[in-house]
Amino acid sequence: MINHHPKLNLLIQHVNGELPASISAGIKIHSDMCKQCSEQIAELTKHEAKLSFSQTNVDDAEFGFDVDALINDITQTQPEPEVIPDNKPVAVTFRGVTYKLPNVMKHMELGKPAQIGKLSRSRILLDEGHIHSSLLRIEAGGGIPEHTHNGYEITLLLEGNFKDDMGEYVPGDFIVLDGNHQHQPVSEQGCLCYTVVSDSLHFTQGINKLLNPIGSFIY
Amino acid sequence: MQVVQSNVTNKFTGSVINSMASDTQHTDICLWLDAVATSRDKAAFTQLFHFFAPKILHISQSKLFDKSLANEVVQETMTNVWKKAHLFNSTKGAPTTWVFTIMRNVTFDILRKLQSNKEDNLSEDIWPMIEDQAIEDEPFSDHIEQKNILAVIDKLPKNQQEVIQAYYFMEMSQEQLAQHLDLPLGTVKSRLRLALSKLKEHLGEKE
Repeated sequence: MINHHPKLNLLIQHVNGELPASISAGIKIHSDMCKQCSEQIAELTKHEAKLSFSQTNVDDAEFGFDVDALINDITQTQPEPEVIPDNKPVAVTFRGVTYKLPNVMKHMELGKPAQIGKLSRSRILLDEGHIHSSLLRIEAGGGIPEHTHNGYEITLLLEGNFKDDMGEYVPGDFIVLDGNHQHQPVSEQGCLCYTVVSDSLHFTQGINKLLNPIGSFIY
Repeated sequence: MQVVQSNVTNKFTGSVINSMASDTQHTDICLWLDAVATSRDKAAFTQLFHFFAPKILHISQSKLFDKSLANEVVQETMTNVWKKAHLFNSTKGAPTTWVFTIMRNVTFDILRKLQSNKEDNLSEDIWPMIEDQAIEDEPFSDHIEQKNILAVIDKLPKNQQEVIQAYYFMEMSQEQLAQHLDLPLGTVKSRLRLALSKLKEHLGEKE
């Protein structure tokens, strides 16, 4: 069962379109797998819509265009045909294993897969500055050395499972970590994650503390 | 005392009038949208425009801090209302929610274009206007690998399908299989080998 959900304030920002595409896409992936959150998003949207359109002091709106001309133009355009969304599955392959990807990723460009040990990563080229998104695959028996974060790290487990000192995770879990957390995830059977990271990771143990090669790999 | 009471009354009737107003408003908006959808009614669209456009301008200005962008949101949103009116389904939700969704999507794509220089219009993937699928109760990808394999097996020639299914899914031995199909053991083995290499090819694994 999915145990980790986006917090309410995140859902509200999502509904208002105020989050980076990477995070909203993560919420969409989660809510497609989580009935509870999907219903909550529907409720929140209704509520925000009501709030938005119940304002009354807007009679003095000054448009930067000629209203009548615009209405003329618009009403001469053709209605849009009802298109059935193209849900041709998108997929990613890491070392010969192919994973189906969520629909929300169908227009996202992926970088070439890169590899360190049992970790594979493909960047999702969303171009969001310091916010980096990736598909991260941990091969069976692999893990990530103990680390903490300056910024935040959102992990959406897509397939397989992993665990850390806080517990075990299942597909659909939406896991948010920040500087207050330290963890060392390991995956017994292997897994594929959608990750959004806002700053490089900081390793807290051993050689990784000095060299940090995996830090930039995962960020 | 008198004053307090009249205040209470005012508040009370005020809220009743407000909610009555919003009820008739709701009905009006539905009727206008329907008129646009079914008969491309310009007068109805003009009504919709006067109801929504000033509000959209106001919201967008406070969000984008830019007059010309806010105007762009108004134009784009109202154009979509016209073009997509027939896609609105009143049994699925309020018209205000529908227009809000369009406005939010338009704003999101404009902001993304500004901030990331990307014109990928991801809003339609994040918040599809036409929800294409019911939510699955099960996590969606648990059996993906198996589904993949099954689909690929379907593409194999019949005699290869037969051996693969019996050998892997019914867990018959090659000997049992040979007996069952009344074939020499060598034939069963070569069919299996052939089927397997085809499977691998289809699943993208290289020998």
